[in-house]
Amino acid sequence: MGVVTAIWEKWVEFKFEWKKITAAALVSPVLYMIALGWGLGSMTSVTDRPYIDFLVPGLIAMCTMNNSFSAVATALNVQRTFEHSFEQIIISPTPLTQYVLGQSIGGALRGIYSGLLVLLISLPFGIGIRVTPAFFLIMFLNGMAFGALGVLAAVLANTHSDVSRFSTFVITPMTFLCNTLFPLDKIPGVIQTVIRFLPLTHASGQLRSISYGNPASFFSIAVLAAYAALFIGLSVYFIKKRKNF
Amino acid sequence: MIEIKNVTKTYPGQKTPALSGLSLTIGSGEFFGLLGPNGAGKTTTIKLLATLLIPDEGEIIIDGEKLTRNSLPVKRKLSMVTQEYSLRGNMTPGEMMELHGRLYQLPKKVIKERSEELLAFCGLGEHRKKICRQLSGGMKRKLMLARGLLTAPEILILDEPTVGLDPFARRQMWDLLKQLNEKGMTILLTTHYIDEAQYLCRRIALIDRGKTDRIASPAELIQEIGATAVDEFDGSHTKSSFFTEKEAALHFAEGLKNEFVIRSTTLEDVFVTRIGRKLEGK
Repeated sequence: MGVVTAIWEKWVEFKFEWKKITAAALVSPVLYMIALGWGLGSMTSVTDRPYIDFLVPGLIAMCTMNNSFSAVATALNVQRTFEHSFEQIIISPTPLTQYVLGQSIGGALRGIYSGLLVLLISLPFGIGIRVTPAFFLIMFLNGMAFGALGVLAAVLANTHSDVSRFSTFVITPMTFLCNTLFPLDKIPGVIQTVIRFLPLTHASGQLRSISYGNPASFFSIAVLAAYAALFIGLSVYFIKKRKNF
Repeated sequence: MIEIKNVTKTYPGQKTPALSGLSLTIGSGEFFGLLGPNGAGKTTTIKLLATLLIPDEGEIIIDGEKLTRNSLPVKRKLSMVTQEYSLRGNMTPGEMMELHGRLYQLPKKVIKERSEELLAFCGLGEHRKKICRQLSGGMKRKLMLARGLLTAPEILILDEPTVGLDPFARRQMWDLLKQLNEKGMTILLTTHYIDEAQYLCRRIALIDRGKTDRIASPAELIQEIGATAVDEFDGSHTKSSFFTEKEAALHFAEGLKNEFVIRSTTLEDVFVTRIGRKLEGK
C-alpha cells in the first residue's frame, strides 16, 4: 500500500511538470549524440560497429541513472528541507520500507521514461540496436538502484546544496567513466577494477550487450538488484536512525 | 492517554537542552494546552509526539504503548497540524488530501467523501484545483487542519494552528475544535494566543526552559494569582496587582494616586506573572 502511495505521489509530480521534465531529459542526450555521435563518432568505430551503436546504450544507462536519481533526490530533499512536507511521511503509519521502495520504483519509471526518449531521438541517427524485455529490465533495475540512492542522498543531505554536491562527487564521475562513452579496456588496471564494481558499469555494459543481440547476464542483473536493495536498506536505516527531522 | 515521562532533548550543537526532564500526562478526551515563552520547548514536545524528534532520555507512552518511529498502530491514532505549512507546493488541495489519506491507508471512497466535506467546511471547495503554492496563508492553515482531520484521529496535535487566520476564521476554527473535543477527540494545542488557550483548554501546562512550571485548569491558574486585577499606569509603566477578593482590590485601588483600571484576571496575566518574573530574574 505504501509502495503504491509513493508511486502515485511520483506520478502526480510528473503530471504537473511533464513538459519541463521531458524537455530537460532531452537536452543532454541530444548534445551527446550530436557532439559524440555525429561529430567525433563519425571518425571512429568500436568493435567493428559504428560508434553511435556503442554510444546509445551508454547514453540510455546514463540518462536512466541521472533522471532516476534527480527525480527522487531533488524532490525529497525539497520536501524535507524546504516544504517540510516530508514530516507528514514520518508522522504517518506508512511503513518506511514500503515508502522508500515506492519512491525507488517511481524514480526507476522516470528513468525508463528518459531512456525511451533517448531511444526515440536516436532513431534519426540511424542506429542498429535491438531492444528486448531484458533491455527494459536492466533500465528498471538501474533506475531502482539510483532512485534508492536518491532517497539516501536526500535523507543524508542537510541542505539542498548538499544534494548537488553529492551529485557532483558521485553521479558525475560515473556518467563519464562507467562504460558509457568509451570501452572500459582503455582505462588503466586498478581504476578499471574499481569501475567494474559500480552499478552504472553493469547497466551500460548489459544494455549494450543486449542491444548487440546477446542475452542478459544474470550476474549483472543480480549486482544491480543488490545495489538497489543496499541503497533501499541504507535509506530506511538512516531515516529511522535520524534523531531530528 | 498520553504520558510524557522525564523526557530530555538537546539539539545538535546546542549546550542548553530544549527539554530537561519534562513530564506530563494528558487524559483521553482532554483539551490540553502547552503555553510558554519562545524557546520554552513547546514545539520540541510536539515534534517528539510526532516522532519527528527522538528523545535523548525518557519516553512517551500512548495508550500504554511506547511511542517510537516504528509504532505504526499508535501513529494511526495521531494526526498533527504543524507550525510550518508542510504542504506540497505543486499539489492541489485535493491531491494533498488524497496523499494524506493514502498514507493512512484510508479507502479511496472515504478519502473522496471526507475530503470534499472537509474542504467545503474550510471554505476551500472552490480552490481545490489550485496548487497549494497559489493559496493564501489562511487557506493553507485551513487546508492543514482539514488534512489533519481527514483520518478522524483519536489524538489531534496542533502547533500554533490559528497563526495567520483572520478573527472570523479563528473563531470558526475554535468552534470546530470544541465540537471535535466534545465528541471525544483528545487535543493537544500549543499557541501564542493566550485567549485561545484560555477559551479552549481544560488544562494547561506552563512550560519554561524545557520543564513544566505548573499544570492546572485556566480557572485554577487564575485563582492562584487572584481573580481580580488592578492596573495602575504611572505615566511610563503599567503595574498590575492581583487580589483573590474583589473588595480587597477596591480597597487597594482607593489608595492609588494614578489612573487605574479594575478588571478580571486573564490567563495572560498568569503567563506574564509566572513566566515573566522568571525571565526578569534570570
